[in-house]
Amino acid sequence: MVKYLARRIFYLILTMFLIASVTFFLMKLMPGTPLNNQAKLTASQIHTIYQQYGLDKPLWQQYVTYIVNAVQGNFGTSFQFSNQAVSYLIGSRIGPSAIIGAQGMILGVILGICTGSLSAIRKNTWVDGTANIISILGLSIPSFVFAILLQYYFGLKLQLFPVAGWGGFASTILPTIALAASPFATTSRFVRTEMVDVMGSDYIELARAKGLSRFGIVFHHALRNSLIPLVTVIGPLAVGIMTGSMVVENIFSIPGIGEQFVKSILVNDYPTIMGVTLLYSGLLCLVLLITDIVYGIIDPRIRLSGKGE
Amino acid sequence: MDEKIKLPEDAFQPVGKDDKLDDEKIAAPSRTFLQDAWHRLKENKAAFISMWILIIIALFAFTSPITAPNPNSANPDYANLPPKIPGVNINGFNGTSIQGGQRVDQYKANNVPESKHFILGTDYLGRSLGQRILHGTMISLLIGLFATLIDLLIGVGYGIISAWKGGVVDLVMQRIIEIMQSIPNIVIMVLLLLVIKGGILPIILAIAINEWTTMARLTRAQTLQLKSQEYVLAAQTLGESSGKIAMKHLLPNLSSVIIIQTMFTIPAAIFFEAFLSYIGIGIQAPIASLGTLINDGQRNFQFLPFQMWYPAIVLAIIMIAFNILADGLRDAFDPRTSRH
Amino acid sequence: MKFKTVGKLGAVALASTFILAACGSNNSAKKNSVNFRESAEIATMDQSKVTDVVGLTQLGNTEEGLYRIGKDNKIENALATDTKVSDGGKEYTFNIRKGAKWSNGETVTAKDFVFGWQRTVNPKTASQYAYLFSGIKNADKIAANKANYKTLGVKADGDNKLVVTLDRPVPYFKLLMGFPIFFPQNEKAVDKYGSSYGTTSAKTVYNGPFKQEGWKGSNLSWKLVKNPDFWNKSSVKTDTINYQVVKDAGTALNMYNSKKLDQNTLTGDQVKQYKNDKNFVKYLNSSTFYLEFNEKKDKYFKNQKIRQALSLAINRDQFTKKVLADGSEPATGLTSAGLAKDPKTGTDFAKEVNVPEASKYDLAQAKKLMAEGLKEEGMKSLNFQLMSDDTTGAKQSTEYIQSAWEKIPNVKVSLSNIPFKNRLANSQNGKFDAVITAWGADFSDPISFLQLFTTGNSLNNGKWKSAEFDQLIKDAGDKDANNPEKRWNDMLKAERILLKEQAISPLYQQAQSMLRNQNIKGIVYNSAGLNFDYSHMTVK
Repeated sequence: MVKYLARRIFYLILTMFLIASVTFFLMKLMPGTPLNNQAKLTASQIHTIYQQYGLDKPLWQQYVTYIVNAVQGNFGTSFQFSNQAVSYLIGSRIGPSAIIGAQGMILGVILGICTGSLSAIRKNTWVDGTANIISILGLSIPSFVFAILLQYYFGLKLQLFPVAGWGGFASTILPTIALAASPFATTSRFVRTEMVDVMGSDYIELARAKGLSRFGIVFHHALRNSLIPLVTVIGPLAVGIMTGSMVVENIFSIPGIGEQFVKSILVNDYPTIMGVTLLYSGLLCLVLLITDIVYGIIDPRIRLSGKGE
Repeated sequence: MDEKIKLPEDAFQPVGKDDKLDDEKIAAPSRTFLQDAWHRLKENKAAFISMWILIIIALFAFTSPITAPNPNSANPDYANLPPKIPGVNINGFNGTSIQGGQRVDQYKANNVPESKHFILGTDYLGRSLGQRILHGTMISLLIGLFATLIDLLIGVGYGIISAWKGGVVDLVMQRIIEIMQSIPNIVIMVLLLLVIKGGILPIILAIAINEWTTMARLTRAQTLQLKSQEYVLAAQTLGESSGKIAMKHLLPNLSSVIIIQTMFTIPAAIFFEAFLSYIGIGIQAPIASLGTLINDGQRNFQFLPFQMWYPAIVLAIIMIAFNILADGLRDAFDPRTSRH
Repeated sequence: MKFKTVGKLGAVALASTFILAACGSNNSAKKNSVNFRESAEIATMDQSKVTDVVGLTQLGNTEEGLYRIGKDNKIENALATDTKVSDGGKEYTFNIRKGAKWSNGETVTAKDFVFGWQRTVNPKTASQYAYLFSGIKNADKIAANKANYKTLGVKADGDNKLVVTLDRPVPYFKLLMGFPIFFPQNEKAVDKYGSSYGTTSAKTVYNGPFKQEGWKGSNLSWKLVKNPDFWNKSSVKTDTINYQVVKDAGTALNMYNSKKLDQNTLTGDQVKQYKNDKNFVKYLNSSTFYLEFNEKKDKYFKNQKIRQALSLAINRDQFTKKVLADGSEPATGLTSAGLAKDPKTGTDFAKEVNVPEASKYDLAQAKKLMAEGLKEEGMKSLNFQLMSDDTTGAKQSTEYIQSAWEKIPNVKVSLSNIPFKNRLANSQNGKFDAVITAWGADFSDPISFLQLFTTGNSLNNGKWKSAEFDQLIKDAGDKDANNPEKRWNDMLKAERILLKEQAISPLYQQAQSMLRNQNIKGIVYNSAGLNFDYSHMTVK
């Protein structure tokens, strides 16, 4: 276990280092600068500004500085907001993203488990069919279309929820639903497959033969065993939430990371782009690591060892 | 007691030379693996219909250079006209829309000649939305297909090599995949597109780069299984080259995994393209894809809802059809998972 | 001279925070509050660092300078109580109002101006607006690092007298004083917060009509509240302005329609729907969009006929009404309409220039001129790239112009839509064939536009040259600087030369169209400089 952990953490660090390096050099290929009024500035002014951002040094030196600073949690100064540290920027925006992200994930997964197991129990009936279509729709409608429809009909036409903005639980409802669509669809399909598998296995037959109630079988045996592998898709689900948040936060004007990332792309705020990239990658690496460990703990068939597969 | 077992004369009959032994006869017609899968697919109504829908959409899309030759010809005088189907007088299809609280015949208001009508309306530059959707579907499908193709080439090659070589090579290659998979692909895609901006090719590459790892993993797992099969061992013993074994023995047996994964990758690629369009780094104008069309349409959803609805519906149909077909194919290729 | 992104119009947009509306109590209790929208975040509240329109609008309403620019560019005393101009327009003496206070309790004095100005021109501060100080004694030398920033021609004579010395007469000097860059700064606060001054509401001090609250550096909502220490607080009729940043235009319109916003800037298609609405208002900005042709890179663009042909092929009427459809109007020249009036007759500069052929639509003539031009150049066909920003508006513009140009036989145009900063960099490095450039004036004087096209100006991207034009601009700056009529005529002649030679092809003048509740009145709008002044705004 310790050996396994050590190996995984080593790879995590290696991954983060690679991502930081690749991002750094990719961004250096881009022509953007922190200057907005370049034409009107004298050479010495430009030099001063470059100095403030450390852009006057040779590339390798900038690279080393960047990596060293990044290790200490300092991602430089934003091009878009003057004198604003990227780490501060990210820090001040992580809250709303975390809230709607977590809510969306929980809502999506719970709904997905319900729909998925329901459709497995009632396999090949109209319940199964309907659930299947709903979950395929969840995979088939782009999140921005879904978010716009939610906003227009539930926010503006029916006036049930706030149209957009941030403040209070009410304002998180529509974004949460919009974000939940993708994890819902994935979970529902995943749980159905697993559950159908489990329902056909011998111990369920045995339980049935012993005369256990249908309810008892489903909840004590089938559901429990089909949910364990669900842990493995948490990583992809997290990626889905990240992707979705860029769109959903933009449409609902939520001061989160995704909204900032899209804006940074549009205004070429490279330090922020790099910072957010590292944050996203770090988060994903952590999620993957944790799910692996959790999986090892809850499923006795899997043993974590120092070796690979 | 001299007792003999008396057998009747006709207890045994000689087997004639021409008589056929048919107790080993296979009742069902003999079919190859692929034929068998095809048969099972045909039984799955939803998947079979989906397949035909996709074929029809693809036909419409890929003939669009002939049937809809001018997706980019702008005529600002006809901008934002609602759909009009001659003879149909239902709101939404009769060329009227609500402007400033009143229903206005936009075709009259913009002095469009009687004979001119746009079945699916026009966009902000007066381009026929119908033509643009056909064209956009083609571009979206092309992106999906080519991204998947690249994905296949890299993923399958990578997976086979990794599993075949084994040892240190496998270890290193697997670590690389592990690292690739812990990068949020959307972020990498965005970064790549920031650097190489614009055209169809960069988008295809960006999408492919992020999708191949799944393919590689699946191929590797399957290859590992095949590698220990007797016929592969036999081929090896007989001195067949690795390349030949891969082509003749591995690939055919990998085909089901590859086909299923392909069916999941194509819609994913189309979907990513739509997402990129929303962020503003998708295909550059004036080329249209379903993603850019939906994105252009969503801006005026409040008053020109058709501009978002039509391309969105086409996209949704394609996505649903691919997903159902992929499910169907998985069941068809692997009967064990589908029928207990 | 601030750059504007093509279609950045949204950036000037204003809106409200729905949060407070959602809380309800605040909204009904305070009738004097409004909800505005911005479509971008505040980049900074530091006068020496600001470059963005949002930040400038915030500063203009929370800080006070020597003057406020009233309706129609009328100069009104603010912190200055009276002004004396001497030495042939090269020395200004301002008497500073007594009793004005900063929000940290300090008194506003003449020294605050000296401190603020010196800080802005100090090369170490790297203010991207420092060039506006050019003309004030030693400003250019300081910018070039050839003089200490303390030698800037500004002195405090006691607490209540400010003396400014200029290198040369600057005819628009008073207008500049209404721009937030020239407002005073409180030394104590700037020293206290150091480089984080102006990065949040709490780390900024105010001496203007409003104080800002709730801006934490990058968040999407904040508010302006009436400043109880403002010297002229009785004139401020609004208690609270709530701001909400909404980037998505569709979302913003939904919020306006569900009454969470009192004012919302519209996009083109939205304008079409709402142009007859009783709440519809439109402002013409002082920014002109025009085409530049790279005469240095592409020799064929040196041919006037080719430039004219391309210009004639564009139907600006159709372009603004049908494509942009955001209320923008066809531009007839470089200088925007409504910017400045003839000192003698009161006629608008843009109108008086009157060179109709520079912005006419005549496709037949375009085809003829193109054929002639190509023949003169010995070319069979023309194949070049049109560059612009990658915003929605810019993409629509390039697509339209592409289709217009390709109606001329043998002309092929490809498009390049790139981010704003890249477009600027490529323009200045001459890496383009044709480009759509936007220029917005910082002060209401035609020279703000015209000086761009002098030989050697780094923003003369097309490298068009005219000795006569250069001479006229030079005269307007020195020989005729103190003679408004002569100077006016110099500028008129210069722009006529520019247009007759089709050095540029004017496209349109940007408008900002918005929906605003009719109970909001008294917003002062000026097309140049500080756009929106809310200090006299009333809410019924």
